[in-house]
Amino acid sequence: MSDQATAPAEPDALAVSDLDAGYGGALALRGISLAIRPASITAVLGANGAGKTTLLRAISGVVRPRGGRVLVHGRDMTGRAPEDMARGGVAHVPEGQGVIGELTVEENLRLGALWRRGREARAAALAEAYQRFRVLADRRRRAAATLSGGERQMLVIARALMAQPRVLLLDEPSLGLAPRVVAQVMQLTAELRDSGLTVLLVEQNARSALSIADQGVVLNLGQVVASAAAATLATDVQLRQHYLGF
Amino acid sequence: MTLLRHLAAAVVLGLILVLLTIRLDPFRDYQIAEIACYVIAVAGLTALVGWSGQISLGHGAFMAIGAYSAALLQLHWHWPLYVVLLASTVITAASGAVVGVAAARLRGPYLAGATLLLAVALPSLALSDNNLFGGDQGLTVVANTPAFLGASFPLTRWQAWLTCGCALIILVLLANLARSRVGRSWRAAGDDEVAAALAGLNVARLRVLAFVVSAACAGLAGVLLAVTTSIVSPGAFTLTLSVALLTGAVLGGLGSLAGAVWGSLVLVLVPTYVTDVATSHGLSSSAGSNIPVVAYGVVLVVVMLLFPNGIQGGLVRLYRLAAPRVPAPHWRGRAQPESGAPVSPGPAKPPRASASEHSASEHQEEGSI
Amino acid sequence: MAELGQLTLGGLSVGMIYAAIGLSLVLIWRATRILNYAQGGMAMFTTYLAFEVINRTGSYWAGFAAALLGGLLLGGLIERVVIRPVENKPPLNAIIVTIGLLIFLEGLAGVIYGGQYRSFPAAYSINGLKIGSAALGISANDVFVAVAVLIAALLLALLFRYTAVGLRMRAAAFSPPVSRLLGVRVGRMLTLGWALAGLIGALAGVLVSPSTFLYPNSMDAIFVLGFTAAVIGGLDSPAGAVAGGLILGVLLSYVSGYLGSDLVPLFGLAALVVVLMIRPEGLFSAPAARQV
Repeated sequence: MSDQATAPAEPDALAVSDLDAGYGGALALRGISLAIRPASITAVLGANGAGKTTLLRAISGVVRPRGGRVLVHGRDMTGRAPEDMARGGVAHVPEGQGVIGELTVEENLRLGALWRRGREARAAALAEAYQRFRVLADRRRRAAATLSGGERQMLVIARALMAQPRVLLLDEPSLGLAPRVVAQVMQLTAELRDSGLTVLLVEQNARSALSIADQGVVLNLGQVVASAAAATLATDVQLRQHYLGF
Repeated sequence: MTLLRHLAAAVVLGLILVLLTIRLDPFRDYQIAEIACYVIAVAGLTALVGWSGQISLGHGAFMAIGAYSAALLQLHWHWPLYVVLLASTVITAASGAVVGVAAARLRGPYLAGATLLLAVALPSLALSDNNLFGGDQGLTVVANTPAFLGASFPLTRWQAWLTCGCALIILVLLANLARSRVGRSWRAAGDDEVAAALAGLNVARLRVLAFVVSAACAGLAGVLLAVTTSIVSPGAFTLTLSVALLTGAVLGGLGSLAGAVWGSLVLVLVPTYVTDVATSHGLSSSAGSNIPVVAYGVVLVVVMLLFPNGIQGGLVRLYRLAAPRVPAPHWRGRAQPESGAPVSPGPAKPPRASASEHSASEHQEEGSI
Repeated sequence: MAELGQLTLGGLSVGMIYAAIGLSLVLIWRATRILNYAQGGMAMFTTYLAFEVINRTGSYWAGFAAALLGGLLLGGLIERVVIRPVENKPPLNAIIVTIGLLIFLEGLAGVIYGGQYRSFPAAYSINGLKIGSAALGISANDVFVAVAVLIAALLLALLFRYTAVGLRMRAAAFSPPVSRLLGVRVGRMLTLGWALAGLIGALAGVLVSPSTFLYPNSMDAIFVLGFTAAVIGGLDSPAGAVAGGLILGVLLSYVSGYLGSDLVPLFGLAALVVVLMIRPEGLFSAPAARQV
């Protein structure tokens, strides 16, 4: 059997080539290129201001790229509006979580799938979310603003999953969370990867991120300074100390 | 040195105006006088809105206060004109302080609503006491040519000199104020109140002061307009006047004194032109009198959408295209242009109370009113 | 005592008009954080539209429907064309634009129709109703006014609470950037919000014009009172706007009945001043965060 030799290469779940993006007069990202395999976690690391959040925003359309391309499963989605990216299978959980506090937990969840056709599909997604996240089921009628930090993070991830995305962009999920909760979130992210989701994980907490990631990318001043398997990055002491602080 | 420069410019302008008024016919002189009155009022308003970031839909009311107090002072106490001018300005400044204090806590739509009330309520107040305020007919202010100019000196030319002289003085004063610490404090407080307060500025006092200054200008303008038109009645100070003043400020370029001049020119010259065109095409006079109103509305909307920096902003841009070596002036306007001044990126601002994300491409500086 | 009852009922009916305008202002405020100074002008304009239709077809209800439809379209059109460019700019720009819009609409109405007061028909009889021999102080038309606004407000509440589009509109109003990331077409939701507000405003216009007569500035005073109602209730609270409108309506009715009708404008203004001074954020909203 010659399957190995003739099997077609799977397209990257997410491919970024030569991406430039910025705010106002300044460029925050310069010539960023990434290739991300399906069902993997890629950790995006680096100091504050390195451009990690901008990278996610440029992919999801919140910030319009000035140059370069973004391909999702082979389709060119560069510069599409965020609402189109969301409908195109890219879910972005922003920095600061983005819980809509004035709505209930259930309304937040439902919002994630509202654009999907078919009431059964939406209802099934909601049921699945409640099954996976028991704590949300318990609090479904409460205003989302009353949730604790960890619960909010669960909510926004669950909400993003309602759309059945193929790519998940997670921006600093550990921010403001107690270590135990951080571990839970990381565990959840790993499980999502195991079930086939592609995750781009921006994290300040490089250690936690690298512990579950397959790949790691280090940004500094808007450019990629290192890109390797997570294990390699974790053991490169010089790199770690220089860019990641541990 | 700034003061000298401003004074020199004022003297030169004054001389040009003197020559103009001698060459032009009385009707033009009358129009020049009218324009000068509006310049004073619009300049004060542009300082309030453009520098201090507070909106007022009621400056017509301040003009009314100035005019009515002048008429009453002259009628009952027979004070000479110059004393009356000064006194009315002071009275209106005091009323500006009252309004400023009352409105100090209000922002944005609430402030606009409150000043709108002022504009609407004041004329009806004037109608309430016929004996005191002369009811519908109103009162009048008398200003004769001073004796030293000679008996044959045309009244309109004298009015033009008087109003233009006052306008130049006011412009010099405001220009110096803009450069002074008060002016800088206004802009700082207008840009970011919390930061200004943390830096030690007394924001409330600054806001009241801005109202006092702009009201004083409006009051003076009101008296001078009364001198020029000889009319002090409720019908002369309607809401349309307040809106016209705002239109003039926006059109000329918010926060720009030169803009106040452009705006006033447009305010006085265009409506008569437009109405003439309209009535000559057969529109009835009541329809015709609404044309300027339609024009005001269109101007406000179009200018804010397409040219937020008004005429002055357009001129500055043309100038800079022609002479790019000149460094860009300090940004004084409150209205944000479509492109141009860079937006501060999201991460630099302190986090807001709500837990939602800020997309930097959509997040713009919010000017506080 | 009977007079008190009559005044109360009459006040409730008029108060519904203020509530309607207040409600439309709150809708727009919640969606776009803009106070629509042109709301009264838009209502006046759509009432003129109804006027035209009624005159040409002889049918009140055709005119009524035309006004509502016109309000819907006008509101949506205005948001899309005039308001969209200033939604993310400093608040001053939007204030000036809506004021410009207001005087444009009033001037346009003046050019087309002139300034004379025109009479506008009421849907039902304006004769006072009686129970037995006791006069109620309101007419059949007044009841219709109250019921119409109530139904509109209820439908709106149901729309927001229980429908998908309502959820999307609320999300778009509370948090536009996050909603975009969830696939909500925020722009369309804002347009829809303005369209609904235009509809409610148009309803208020046709309901109140029989008693105020129709002329270019006829909705100015109603707008001020509707604004007052919204401020009393809190600009963020639709229920507050309705409550504020009713409170204001009843209060002014008492003033008119016991103190004289020429004092009503003064009291209306005084009410607004009092609320702005004491609690600008309104009676029904959470107090604003303290300044540092």
